Amino acid sequence: MAIRVSRRKISNYIADQIAEGHETKKLIQELAAFLIDTRRTKELELVVRDIEYELKNRGIVLAWVTSAHDLTSATKTAINKLIKDQTDAKNVELQELVDPTVLGGVKIDLPGQQLDMTIARRLSLLRTNVKE
Amino acid sequence: MQPLTQFATTTNGNVFTSLGIDWQMLILQIVAFLILVFILGKYVYPWLIKSVDERQANIEAANKAASEAQSAAVDAEARVEKLLKIARDEAADIVATAKLESAAALSASEEKAKKRSEQIVADAQGEIQKEVVAAKKALHNETLELVALATEKVVGKAVSSKIDESLITDSLKAVK
Repeated sequence: MAIRVSRRKISNYIADQIAEGHETKKLIQELAAFLIDTRRTKELELVVRDIEYELKNRGIVLAWVTSAHDLTSATKTAINKLIKDQTDAKNVELQELVDPTVLGGVKIDLPGQQLDMTIARRLSLLRTNVKE
Repeated sequence: MQPLTQFATTTNGNVFTSLGIDWQMLILQIVAFLILVFILGKYVYPWLIKSVDERQANIEAANKAASEAQSAAVDAEARVEKLLKIARDEAADIVATAKLESAAALSASEEKAKKRSEQIVADAQGEIQKEVVAAKKALHNETLELVALATEKVVGKAVSSKIDESLITDSLKAVK
């Protein structure tokens, strides 16, 4: 009977491998195979989140940036700098998402943190805060 | 003048004889009369007098009883009058008391009805006020929702890439 490996150990292992510069694609395939083999595919999202945390602890931040339009390189640079200032990260990986429903502005999802500066968010705040 | 002369002539003899009176017969009649008087006095008159006395006594008793009855009737009438007066006084008192009590009860019921009506009016005003406040809130929220929706529609079309970039830059500066 195989010993159940904790999610923390898995995420630590993957984060270490990525930090050491191993090929990410190969690591992802190994992780997927492991989860399928141990029938723990339902934990995929949690494992990914844990890996993001572990990478953040190692100075690597994976940021999901959502905006209504494609971002220019200048904007990306500014966002990159902002994230580095906020998290003291050495390396920032930006993942861009275009979502017209945010109307304008930008939303940055970091591990355990979110910076929502979109117009949709401001309208949502207007609805909730000003309503009687 | 002839009868008088005739009488004077006869008086010279026996008067009783001239009058046609028989002495013996007269004495006998006197004795019989006395016997009759004695018998009547002995047996008839006492019974008769007794009967008359009894009747008189009865009549007097009846008169007395009638007088007493009349007196009693007068007394009774006086008592009845007195009782009637007392009853009238009591009735007047009762009527006066009833009038006072009814007036007090009427006043109390009027006061109660007035308070009740005032309470109903106050409650109704409170309800109306609450409904007005609720309607104002609903109107405010609906207006807000409409404004937000309109803003979404307008902003969705109005914000170009350039404007969006400027907006993002400003936001990032604000965060710093």
